[in-house]
Amino acid sequence: MIEFRNISKVYKMGEVEFVALKGIFITVQKGEFISIMGPSGSGKSTLMNIIGCLDTPSEGSYYLEGKNVSGLSFDQLSTIRNRKVGFVFQNFNLLPYATAFENIELPMLFNGKKGAERKRRVDELLEMVGLQPWAKHRPTEMSGGQQQRVAIARALAMDPPIILADEPTGNLDSKSGHEIMEIFSQLWKGGRTILMVTHDPAIAAFSRSTIRLLDGAVQENGAAH
Amino acid sequence: MRMQLLHLYWNEFRKRQKKTSLITFAIAWGALSLLLLMSFGRGLSNAGSVSFKGLGSTMIMVSRGQTSKPYQGLPSARRIHIHMEDLELLKRQIPGIAMISPEANNSYNISYRGKESNRSVNGVYPCFAQMRSQVPEAGGRFINNLDQKNARRVAFIGWNAAKELFGKTNPVGKEIRIERTPFTVVGVMKKKQQSSTYQGPDAEIVYIPFSTFCQIDSQRFLDRIHIRPADPRDALFMENQVRRVLGRKYRFADDDPNAVNFWNTIRDYETGAKIFKGIEIFLSIIGALTLLIGAVGVTNLMYAVVKERTREIGIKMALGARRRHIVMQFFLETFAIFFKGTLWGTLIAFNIVSLVNLIPVGYEDFGIKAYLLRPIFSFDILIVFLVVLCVLVFVSGIFPALRASRQNPIEALRYE
Repeated sequence: MIEFRNISKVYKMGEVEFVALKGIFITVQKGEFISIMGPSGSGKSTLMNIIGCLDTPSEGSYYLEGKNVSGLSFDQLSTIRNRKVGFVFQNFNLLPYATAFENIELPMLFNGKKGAERKRRVDELLEMVGLQPWAKHRPTEMSGGQQQRVAIARALAMDPPIILADEPTGNLDSKSGHEIMEIFSQLWKGGRTILMVTHDPAIAAFSRSTIRLLDGAVQENGAAH
Repeated sequence: MRMQLLHLYWNEFRKRQKKTSLITFAIAWGALSLLLLMSFGRGLSNAGSVSFKGLGSTMIMVSRGQTSKPYQGLPSARRIHIHMEDLELLKRQIPGIAMISPEANNSYNISYRGKESNRSVNGVYPCFAQMRSQVPEAGGRFINNLDQKNARRVAFIGWNAAKELFGKTNPVGKEIRIERTPFTVVGVMKKKQQSSTYQGPDAEIVYIPFSTFCQIDSQRFLDRIHIRPADPRDALFMENQVRRVLGRKYRFADDDPNAVNFWNTIRDYETGAKIFKGIEIFLSIIGALTLLIGAVGVTNLMYAVVKERTREIGIKMALGARRRHIVMQFFLETFAIFFKGTLWGTLIAFNIVSLVNLIPVGYEDFGIKAYLLRPIFSFDILIVFLVVLCVLVFVSGIFPALRASRQNPIEALRYE
């Protein structure tokens, strides 16, 4: 499903070059649940961003569902982000002035889904994350756990096969974090491919395998839990 | 653009509207200035045109002169007089003369029931009134063809002359005396704006048929000939034709500018109209610059808004927003600010123009009020305004919107 062939990423900051990823080969099969671990600056986020088509590699080829996406335009990548990938961020990244309903609806707006269809889907997702009574509330009126559940619902709006979570529990207390991980487990059991960046071994324990990064290179791949 | 996205943009705009209220005011102010300056400029131009037409807008006045260069052995500084028979000569030799009238004048004692004054009495043809924009007050008339044919003793008098001799009495049908000869007043001139004169305003003058004038006055020459060309565009051509025809008769050079004098109101009118149009354009530019300042403010604000919402742009990109979705949102937001501002500005401008027009300005008021208190809010002004506005909306909206859409999604997501 996801295949990295010799992917490198170099950031240029003025004169200085920073190598975030160096020649990475990774293959992720459909239905895997993988934790990506490693110290700060080891390239975890860069890896996630490239997988999620938010960033493009400096070198190498990235195949998503068998298709090389390395050379696609911004708008083509937007379509992939919209349909193939659901993002869950550490700081939730909900639109502050929009209600839970409106936040979840957002990806469908960029895809032109009809109003009735959107409403049906949002209601379904709100029920799934147990936030139906909160549909009309704004993020500021919700707890962190609730906000992250809204974010997960939003990531699922377009029913993408891949979920990318960047420290999804990093800003939550352990109880809420646990609840969030339960949802991810459910999703995985439902057949989705999940990649999750985390520092926390307890959280990583929910996944089926781990990729460890160090200084932009894969240190360990496939350690099963 | 899909409706649901428009809905989303509208919601986001509405929730942030307070932040844009000051700049909306600036746009309203700019729009108001532009529209008012254009309307008042048009009013000024219009008043100018009306007063230019007071003397007569499409006519050429020919009067006697003095040669300024020797010609065919004749010395310079010869006086050239024009005579009654020149009228026929000109009519015969120059095609395209629509109207032609002689004018001869002299100062006479005018009296009515013991009130006396010395006034200019002018002998003219009936078509004179049309050329000189002279309209009789209700109940009266100008000199007609029968008056001229039969040399009737009838008079058409200017409104000031009427006021002085008759006070509040209606002069029509009354008998005045010109050098003790009785004349019946057939009409009083309606008040008109007149910005230029040659022997005092028409308001002061007593007009009688040319034939009658010849009976009471012994003068051999005409003072002036008035000509209206069938096509006003022939004004200059006709002026040269008249000079040529008279030059052949009185033997002066075609290019002698002083042999006979011309007063070409068509040319004057065109010059005047250009001056007023110039003022109008100048005022519009000032207004447009005011609006431009508002537009620069909008651009500035939109750059700030883009910066403030960087993270939000990143989120939308992560969720699948295309570049055009982002461009459209910020561009439409600029448009919305302009739309709201100009709507207010236009409504206020329209009301001010309407209110100012309610201030009474008498037809006889030829002063500053006639120029300043009659703004015109017309369709073509609105068109010009909208064109200026569209350009400004586009220019001030497109750059912030493009900047928003060209952000790197990752950096945008990290933006605090």
